[in-house]
Amino acid sequence: MTTNTFEPLDPLIHVPARLRILVTLAALNEGDTLSFTRLQNMLDLTPGNLITHLRKLEDARYLRSKKTWDGNGLATTVTLTTRGRAALEAYTEALRSLLSGLAS
Amino acid sequence: MNDMNMTGDTKQAASAGEEAGLDPREAAQILEQAKRQAQRQFDPHPPLAVVVGAAGVFLFGYGAVWWSMRAQHVYTGPALWSLAVLYGLIAVSAIAGSVASRAKSGVSGRAQRERQAQGAAFAAAGIGAWVIEGALRYRGVSFEIVYGVFGPTVPLIALMAVAAGISATRENWLQLGVCIAIIAVASVSTFFGPLGAWGLTGLGCCLVLLAYAAVLVVQQRRS
Repeated sequence: MTTNTFEPLDPLIHVPARLRILVTLAALNEGDTLSFTRLQNMLDLTPGNLITHLRKLEDARYLRSKKTWDGNGLATTVTLTTRGRAALEAYTEALRSLLSGLAS
Repeated sequence: MNDMNMTGDTKQAASAGEEAGLDPREAAQILEQAKRQAQRQFDPHPPLAVVVGAAGVFLFGYGAVWWSMRAQHVYTGPALWSLAVLYGLIAVSAIAGSVASRAKSGVSGRAQRERQAQGAAFAAAGIGAWVIEGALRYRGVSFEIVYGVFGPTVPLIALMAVAAGISATRENWLQLGVCIAIIAVASVSTFFGPLGAWGLTGLGCCLVLLAYAAVLVVQQRRS
């Protein structure tokens, strides 16, 4: 029963850290990028932890990362893709209907 | 620690609890918290300290100039010390503001291009107003009008007009209201000569900004 309940939720997003990553990036305007360091500070994750989650999201093409030279070294920036934004919206909608189903 | 290529940290930490399943209610809570946190962090509103600091610049900076001229029956201009107070406060406030405004740090792309365009618009408005001030003096308009009335109001109005445009584009109605209120105060104060221009603009803008700060406090408490 539990498996059926969770079925509509995107399993890639349905993980606390990845959910927080996507929601944070979605708060930016479309096309804006966020530095890895700022994202790490905001989410309070270790670099390795954040990298692992970002890679999974990037593999699913939910976000794009880019390395640029910022004068001090290589800096990574991440941006939410249109696909990622749509996936988060679909997840939010599915979560909402799931919760309303549980409440009724 | 900028690079995503680092491999030192454990991957186990990332996958810990990942497959354990997440309760939908808990997921909804995380989603809401993360959304609120992100909105707070990327908040386009200036930090409260910056607004209160700007109110202080108007009250004490403009107030100092007004104070130094209050006994003048014939306009001779503000005392040098009062101008030093005014520009000193503006400089301190600008430095403190740029340090405190971290909302867009680490954000690049369209947001960065927008900031650069906005900077150019502010610079054009400010420089344009000051060039006109110089032109008026060059054309023989009195010191009283050029430095006493135009100086404290028109550059401010020009800068606030740009800020109002930006606020309107962002649909930030509260900030738009603040900009319009400052423009109104500065415009009306020009009817009262140099003393009125400095005194009323200083006091009026200080009150507008303190009211803005109060609304920000209420909004922060509600969220």
